[in-house]
Amino acid sequence: MFNSLPPLARWGRAFFALASITLLSGCDFNFWRMDGHQSTMVVDGSVARQQLEVFYVTCWVSLVVFVIVAAVLAYAMIKFRARNEADEHAEPPPQGHGNPLIELGLIGASVLSLVIIAVPTLKAIWSTYDVPEAEKKDAYEVTATAYQWWFRFEYPSEIAAVNASGAKAPVIAANELVIPAGRPIRINLRTVDVIHSFWVPKLAGKVDMIPNRANFIFVRADKPGYFWGQCAEFCGDSHAVMRFRVVALDKKEFAEWVEQQGQLARNVAATAVATTTTPQFTALRKFAQNEAGITDKFEVNPLESWRTKQLPEKDENTALIAKGRQLFSAKTCIACHSIRGHDGAGVSAPDLTHVGSRTTIAAGLLENNSQQLRRWIRDPGSVKPGNKMAKAYLENKISLNDEEQVALVAYLESLK
Amino acid sequence: MPVLLKSPDILNQITRLMELAKSAHLTQEEHAPSQPKFLTHPTTKTGLMGWLTTVDHKKIGFLYGFFALIFFIIGGFEALLIRTQLMVPNNDLLTAQQYNTLFTMHGTTMIFLAVMPLSAAFFNFMMPLQIGARDVAFPRLNAFSVWTFVAGAIILNIGWLGPILERFGIHGHNAPDGGWYGYAPLTSKNFSPGHSIDYWVMGLQLLGVASIAASLNFIVTIINMRAPGLTMMRLPVFTWMALFTSFLIVLSFPFITIALVEVMMDRNFGTSFFEVSGGGMPILWQHLFWVFGHPEVYILILPAMGIISEILPTFSRKPLFGYPIVVFSGASIGFLGFAVWSHHMFTTGMGTVATAAFALATMCIAVPTGVKIFNWIGTLWGGHITMRTPMMFALGFVWMFMIGGFSGVMHSAAPADAQQNDSYFVIAHFHYVLIGGSIFALLAGIQFWFPLMFGRKVSEFWGKVSFWVIFVGFNTTFFPMHFLGLNGMPRRTFTYDPNLGWNTANFIATMGSYVLGVGIVIYFAVLVYTYLKGEKVKKDYWDGRTLEWSIESPPPEYNFRVIPTVHARDAWWHEKHHREEIAKENEAHAKAEEAHGGIHMPYGSIWPFVAAFGTLIAAIGITALPANPAPGIHLKLGVCLVGATVAFIGIYFWSLEGNEGYHIHLDKDGNIIGEDHGSKH
Repeated sequence: MFNSLPPLARWGRAFFALASITLLSGCDFNFWRMDGHQSTMVVDGSVARQQLEVFYVTCWVSLVVFVIVAAVLAYAMIKFRARNEADEHAEPPPQGHGNPLIELGLIGASVLSLVIIAVPTLKAIWSTYDVPEAEKKDAYEVTATAYQWWFRFEYPSEIAAVNASGAKAPVIAANELVIPAGRPIRINLRTVDVIHSFWVPKLAGKVDMIPNRANFIFVRADKPGYFWGQCAEFCGDSHAVMRFRVVALDKKEFAEWVEQQGQLARNVAATAVATTTTPQFTALRKFAQNEAGITDKFEVNPLESWRTKQLPEKDENTALIAKGRQLFSAKTCIACHSIRGHDGAGVSAPDLTHVGSRTTIAAGLLENNSQQLRRWIRDPGSVKPGNKMAKAYLENKISLNDEEQVALVAYLESLK
Repeated sequence: MPVLLKSPDILNQITRLMELAKSAHLTQEEHAPSQPKFLTHPTTKTGLMGWLTTVDHKKIGFLYGFFALIFFIIGGFEALLIRTQLMVPNNDLLTAQQYNTLFTMHGTTMIFLAVMPLSAAFFNFMMPLQIGARDVAFPRLNAFSVWTFVAGAIILNIGWLGPILERFGIHGHNAPDGGWYGYAPLTSKNFSPGHSIDYWVMGLQLLGVASIAASLNFIVTIINMRAPGLTMMRLPVFTWMALFTSFLIVLSFPFITIALVEVMMDRNFGTSFFEVSGGGMPILWQHLFWVFGHPEVYILILPAMGIISEILPTFSRKPLFGYPIVVFSGASIGFLGFAVWSHHMFTTGMGTVATAAFALATMCIAVPTGVKIFNWIGTLWGGHITMRTPMMFALGFVWMFMIGGFSGVMHSAAPADAQQNDSYFVIAHFHYVLIGGSIFALLAGIQFWFPLMFGRKVSEFWGKVSFWVIFVGFNTTFFPMHFLGLNGMPRRTFTYDPNLGWNTANFIATMGSYVLGVGIVIYFAVLVYTYLKGEKVKKDYWDGRTLEWSIESPPPEYNFRVIPTVHARDAWWHEKHHREEIAKENEAHAKAEEAHGGIHMPYGSIWPFVAAFGTLIAAIGITALPANPAPGIHLKLGVCLVGATVAFIGIYFWSLEGNEGYHIHLDKDGNIIGEDHGSKH
């Protein structure tokens, strides 16, 4: 039976069989559900929802028009197809040049279907642009500043201690934006170098961060949650790994978080329980280039993982932490980073005062655990090609041996 | 032997020369009709010199096509590397830097070095034939265009030698890696200190020169050189689209030229057009770029629409449905194309009013585009559709372009676009428009006109096999990308994590891209085979409708034995149905032309090539050589000056040699029976 098919159909069948076997082996066919962490189809924010509604309007109008036009096209292709040689060489069909009435009708129909799209589009342009006038009073303001390749978040209305002598400045975080759920948030978008773009698909579409331009974005998270974000404008070598997170908390939890972020860096010597475990300074395993830095365990309930991170680690080693703190200065980390209350006044790199309380490091790329922290500080260039820390390592000939890596990691993890 | 010395009335010329020498304000040399030996016109038509000196629009079209196809293969290879990197999450086949270079060069190559010159190849080859002309208006300018295009292509790609230079201790050379749209300030010296952006800037500048020169040529040709009776509203639609495209190029390229000059000034002379520290505005670059960049999209698609508007009537055996509306919709697309650029910038915080205005303008452009689809379907309606390979590609175009069009309408809704912009949804959209649209149409055009260009025909079986493999591969590659984009995968990322739900779609897309690659290889393998050994066919193989089918295949150098007189829109179709009257008319015209000294042919010239070659040398000096430290600048300046001198010599002698030609005489069957090099026009 197979042989009785015309040659082209035979080829086609064989090809399709081969293709389906290839595709079915080892692939899960659920990509059409589009419910990933960065989905624009399953959303958790009011702005993203409005944008999704507009998308559905465009999608349905397009689909209906497509089905009609495609049906006519398919019908014409089948109906008027020459069936055989004789058909092909028959007298040419009537040489008609068109029909103005049909043309005008079709133009009118297209305009009408575009109006159906235009109305909700215009409405949504105004309603998604900024916090609605009625809610302006309730709006919470944050400033996000992009750097190659990380994000700095500043809370102008929250005051933090800067040093032991009582100086104050706004609360500053990096790569993890914590916001109150349910409230409208207006995020000022700034950049210090090239163009970046702020995109948390589940909360809102993107807005670019452009030099010399005061952009902002309006977002609102429906309920507490943990959201994935990513820079959406090509910004150089490590654009692909410039990611971030947004954590939305209820009112009380958010207030607690702000309170905690306002504190100076935690002093472990005073609070930690001394441990007797002797640390093993074994070499860290080799990581493949671009190897994923997030574990499945973290994925199960990211918001819970975030909450766990707010608490001190179980068995902290005070000696190691003290060593780490000393290395933080000795290895000149302080030139770019600052840990308020401890050392460092650098502003060109993420503020690390509470780095231990973040779920990720390296701009949302790696899970914040001792393995990944060590992977990062050992060789930042292998994780994020071209970044400043890697360049500084090279220029200042900085390298960390196994013991130094472990000590620094212990110190950073203690900074809750 | 110098051609002019063959002239019988050399005495006459000497007398004239003496008269001219007497004129007070002109030097003898400027007006000398007899020229020095190195200014003799090249007469060789074969071999390398034949190609370098050719001014024949068909040979130049062939050159455009040849280079375009080479770069199409290179750009395709770059795409396959990109897809291989993204096949699985966290892949490490390519470094971040290599990946960024590849997506930049893939875009730049496919747009400027593949699709545009392939369209230019058809403009060159077909447009004069469609309007019954013997060449374009400025044959030597045409040669200059193609060689400048080659120079630009070399400059764009020269950075690939970077890794080799690295071995000799020369650093900072790399192929462009700032994206095909080169957003400031990433292109500034601060963030891209090497030479890669310089190559990109200068490469695009040269391509702009080539495109504008070629387009002016096409515009003048179409306006002035139409055969008698070929009124504008009788022009074949492909020629109409060539005209619109040429106007779009002439009007839009100056924007990018200015913008590129500004980047060059910022990088080399310390100006602050886009330099933030000096108060520059990076957003200005985006406006300038997209005022060019959006018409550019129509520069890529209008020729494709023209090709489709030729193929569908031919294989339906009836005229294009609603010819005037198709033409005017092309014009409207061209006009509106200048009013929608900011829809590429919906996420730049333009404010509500500007966003709304550009959203509505973008929706408007869907109307003339949709009108074309309706008219193509109307053309099929009631026809006798013969399913040959060109028709398969043309119908594939209509289907795929429809899908790309609808995802385009989705982008016009700015709030939805805020999610889709810079995601894989956009990649899916514009590949449906540019592969499913432009490339399918160009592949259709190659199949359609191959019998005319080379007098051989592609095997139907293998043509159809290549179509189906390309069709399946293309859809397998790009349809899943809609899902990827809506699931939040951003563009221009060299890696992704496995926990985001993108793995399956990416894997399928990569498999599809391999199938697409195989399809393209089959397609071109068959073409090469056909070129060498394909079945020979007579003229008018497809029972065509327009004038290019009225001549022998392959076309003779002089195109038309007699310049045709056009009586109807589908001129050749009309002629086939009124053979006797038109034959009589043609004989009368042939006699009249013979009485005027025969068919005029332009001489070949090496000078356009020399001018382009000088430009290439200067461009290498500007881009590749370091300005600092101090000794470097001398070399840089020196090379630039040498290049400028060579270019100047080319242009000077080009103008000095004059626009002379010779006459040929034909017998009744179109064989050349005599050449006449004496006369002056």
